[in-house]
This record gives sequence, structure tokens and C-alpha cells, in this order.
Amino acid sequence: MAILECSMLTKRFGSTTALDDVSLRIEPGHIVGLLGPNGSGKTTMLKLANGLLTPNSGEIRIAGMEPCRETRRIVSYLPDRPYLADWMNVRQLLDLFEDFYTDFDRPRALEMLEKLHISEEMRIREMSKGTREKAQLILVMSRRAKLYLLDEPIGGVDPATRDYILETIIRNYNPEASVVISTHLIADVEPVLDEVVFISNGRVFLHKTTDEIREESGKSVDQYFREVFRC
Amino acid sequence: MLGKLLKQEFRATGRIMLPVLGALIVLAFLASLSGSGLINGVTDVPVLRFLMGMIEFLFGIGVVAAGVVTVVIMISRFYRNLLQDEGYLMFTLPVSVHELVWSKLIVALVWFLVTGIVIFLVMGLLGLVLSRTNLVDLMAEFSSDWEEIWSQIVSEGLLASFRKFFLAGAVCTLLGTVCTCLHFYAAMAMGHMFNKHKILLSIVFFVLISIAFSLMTTSLNMAGFSQISENEFLYAESMALLFNTLSRMLWWLTLSELVQAAVLYLATVLCLKRGLNLA
Amino acid sequence: MEWSFRSDQPIYTQLAEKLRMEIVSGRYRPGERLASVRDMALEAGVNPNTLQRALQELEREGMVRAQRTSGRFVTEDLQVIAQTKKRFAEEQIRSFLEAMGKLGLPEREIVSLLEEALSRKGGAASERVSQGEKEDEHGNT
Repeated sequence: MAILECSMLTKRFGSTTALDDVSLRIEPGHIVGLLGPNGSGKTTMLKLANGLLTPNSGEIRIAGMEPCRETRRIVSYLPDRPYLADWMNVRQLLDLFEDFYTDFDRPRALEMLEKLHISEEMRIREMSKGTREKAQLILVMSRRAKLYLLDEPIGGVDPATRDYILETIIRNYNPEASVVISTHLIADVEPVLDEVVFISNGRVFLHKTTDEIREESGKSVDQYFREVFRC
Repeated sequence: MLGKLLKQEFRATGRIMLPVLGALIVLAFLASLSGSGLINGVTDVPVLRFLMGMIEFLFGIGVVAAGVVTVVIMISRFYRNLLQDEGYLMFTLPVSVHELVWSKLIVALVWFLVTGIVIFLVMGLLGLVLSRTNLVDLMAEFSSDWEEIWSQIVSEGLLASFRKFFLAGAVCTLLGTVCTCLHFYAAMAMGHMFNKHKILLSIVFFVLISIAFSLMTTSLNMAGFSQISENEFLYAESMALLFNTLSRMLWWLTLSELVQAAVLYLATVLCLKRGLNLA
Repeated sequence: MEWSFRSDQPIYTQLAEKLRMEIVSGRYRPGERLASVRDMALEAGVNPNTLQRALQELEREGMVRAQRTSGRFVTEDLQVIAQTKKRFAEEQIRSFLEAMGKLGLPEREIVSLLEEALSRKGGAASERVSQGEKEDEHGNT
């Protein structure tokens, strides 16, 4: 069964169509890049998968279920913005994740935080932008989820942080889980992906493995993407 | 899961409410001391007398501020925690929308209750101290007064009516508070379904709900109160009958509040479930 | 440490090439146990499935053998390694010859130039080889 499946999914905001009749299947065990220019519908798709938005038509299913309380148990979501209350410290956040998510692996999170010298007493408010992004990612990746939905995890961070984030994603890879990474910074994530979905103006127009693209076009996914989106 | 949400909610609100209430209590003690000092003429130094007066004034501000903070916390927890960026976390927890709304509502009610009790107590304390400096005498007098009133109530057979009246009053106040919270929640949930002008639209919805409900409750109350004849009120044969009539009026109010609360609750949950549109 | 990849070829073929080279050059010794797919993927900074695919290719060639419980090992079959080495060498020679051909040099001249170059380097090269062998012995003990 597909871990994430959209069929004829459409979402409109007023007069603008953010997603237009999207059908897509993502199987377990893959790291998938959801690639497209800004405003192409990537964030909308991930919000729909989390039940943060309701589709106008069509459906989106996680492990066969429409987004609901049950799917939230198996989906680990990193939004594209700072979303943790800034007055909370790391320990309170670990408590929160442990309280609500039965698949949260606290020792693993602690190990990763320790490596970065982020103390449990540190408040979100006191963290630099990069540290905050890393802390958020650690919390999200420390769950043993079936589906990770990461919205722009490397947007606007320095190269060292970017490497750390990609490394963390590979380190936590699990053959039964899938990871969807939305980004417009393709060159940075390309080696980590084994599948890519190109999305533009709310439509999916390509879903292939990275190796297929390289084999067929003789170009990297990044080069291919630039070519496709030149106009 | 509701228990866990409540724990989070108390943690988030307690860090503000506890210091505020603590400060109010400290201020009440200071105000009592300086107040009795002023009355007893402890000092003639103008500066000190001015400062002592200022403490009284500050206490007055503090009481109002504590009330305002409680209301602001009620509104801002819903707004910031559910409708702003923190909503990305809250709405992806494995909890239902019902649980989210109840956790906000219950915690807001608890703080309204606690703040109410604290304000009542500190005002009482200050009143006692300022009216009589000798607390022991006062207590003795108060208890003898109370005994007198009590015996009167019992002798006139008012006890049952009183009990009914207070029960109706308590339920009515509680539901009124629930309605106030849900009024804000529903208005914000509606306003935030839209892509733009979310706050402005929230205010518009708040006003619209107010108008709709005032029309509804007026007709409902008219229906209820029309059963109560003017004579029952103005020419009540006894205190007991008067209180019974008042209780009936309160129950009618409670009923209309119950209808309002139900409508507002359903509207809030529906908007958050189907119309959530986080920025 | 991330590896760099050319953009005109699938990553898995480049990974396979790299791993072959590591085995042929002796950096991965015959019979040596390879790190887990995840660790190797982390080192290379690539997708674990892609690395898996590269390893499967090496398995097909007999360069690597998988044991269900204990992981993957470099083959102990020296002949397979030698063949691969030879294939590498032949590829290098072919492209070398192509380049020389473009220069328009006749075969005889290429051979004499090569011999000249080898004899000039000869002393140093043979020394290096014998040193390498000594180190190998150290490694084995």
C-alpha cells in the first residue's frame, strides 16, 4: 500500500488554484524530493497531507486513511517555519513530543542534541536561527514515523547546517518509512534523493527516480530542472 | 489525550497567571498595611503618606489588571497557539479538534474562577482592614451578624429558595463565562478561515455574533419572562416567593446561554476542522 | 566527507565505479567486511537506496558477496579482482590510445615514447612499489 497517495487532488484559495488535479503515489522506503519553484504548491500539498487544509475535490490518503488523528500518529511533519512556542525549553519540548507521540525516541533525540551542544535548559527564544532549525529537525526525525514530511528543511540555512540536516535525514533513514523533502534548492539535496516529483503551477508533471532522469537526459536533476523551468 | 493537552495548557498559562496573581496578593498585603497605616496616622511625613496612597492606587490598578490579563490570556492562547504558527504543531498532534477546544476552554474557565476568587479574597481582606483595624473584634461582630441573618433566613423558610437562587446564579455565571470564551473562539476561528484580513474579519464576526445572539436571546427571554407576571415581582408576598421568581428568570437565562454555547462550540469546531487555513 | 558526482551519469553507476576502484586498488581488502549501507551512505552523502543499488551491481559482478545475517564482504576471489583490474587498465589504455591517435602519432612512436617515459621513471616507480609491498606486509601481520 502506498504510504502517501493523492488522487485528483485540487485545492483552491479564493480564485487561485494551488493544486490542480494532482495524482501521485509514494511507496514506503524512499526519500522523495518534492521539487518546484516558489509558489508551485509544495507547501499546500504537505499541509493537505497533514490535514491542515481540506481539499476542494479529490482526496489524499496516508497509508489508506484520510488525514485524521490516526494518520498523525505515523506522520512526522516539519513545517516551513518556526512553529515551536519560543518560551519553551528543550526539556519541555522533549516532554511534549514524548507525551503525544508514542513513537518518539527520546534517547536518540538527546544524543543528537548533545552532539550539537544544545542543552536541555536552552529556550527556543535563546537559539540562533540555525540552531532552532536543527532542534526542530531533531525533534521531528527522532520519531520512528512511517512518513516524514519535511517542508523546506534546508531553506535559508548556512552550508554547515545544511550538511548536518541532510546527514540527519540519511542517518535516520528506515527502509519501512518514506521521507518527502520539499525544496527549491535541488543541487543540495539531489544526492540524498532516490525519487523526485516536479511540481509547477499546482500540477505534477514528472515523477521519476533520480537515476532515471540522469540516465535518460544525461543531466543532473538540478540541470534538468533548470532547463524545464527556464521559460 | 485531553489530560496531556490540559497539562500543556496549564504550563503555558501558569507561567503568566501565577506571577500575576502572586503579585496581586503581595500588593493586597502592602495595600492593607499602608491603608491601615494611613488611617491610624502612623506617619505625618508627606512623602511617605503619598507613597502609601500610591500603593492603594496601584492595588486598584492591579485588581483591574489581573482581570484584564485573564481575558487576554484566554484570547491569546486560542489565537497564538491554534491560529498562528504554533497551530502547525497543535493540529498535527494525534488529538481531536474537540479536545483542543475543550483544553483551551477548561483552562480559561479555571483561571477565570481562580482570578475571581483571588480578587474576591484580596478585596475582602483590604475591606476588612480598612473598615476596622481590630480584626478580632470585627470577626466576632461579623459572626454574630451572620448568626442573626442566618436565623432569620431559617425562620422565614427562605433557605430552600436561597439555595435555588444561588445554584441558578452559579450555573448562569459559569455558562456565561463559557459563552464569552466561545464567542471569542468562534469569531477568531471564522475570521481565520479567510486568506486575508483575518483579524479584521474576526472582529466583524464577533460583532455579527453579538447582534445575532442579542436578537435571539431577547426573543427567548421575552418568551420566558412573559410567563412571569409583573405582579409576581412587584407585589411578591414574601421574600421566598421573590427569590423563587428570580431563580426562574436565571434558569431562563441559563437556557439561552446553553443554546448559545452549543451553537458557538459547534461553529468553532466546524471552522477549525473544515476551514483551517493557517498562514 | 561527501563525495562529488558528475552530473551526466546516474549516481549509482558512479558509486559502483568508486567502490570497484577502492577494491581493485586494495583500499578495501579481499574478505574485508564492508560498513553498513547506512554508514556508507552517510559517508558518501547519498541516498541509501542508491548505494544499495551500486552494491547490488558489484554483487552481480562477484566483487562483493552478501551474507544474509552478517552484512557484505569484499570477495576473496582474487581472480575476479584481477579481472576487474585488468578491465580498468584496458579502459585506461584504450582512452590513452585514442588520445594519442588524435595527436596523429604512429603506433611505433607511441611505444617508444612510452618506453622512454617508463625508463625515466623506472627507478623511482620500482622503489615505490617495493615500499608499498612492505607496508602491505605490515598491514597483514
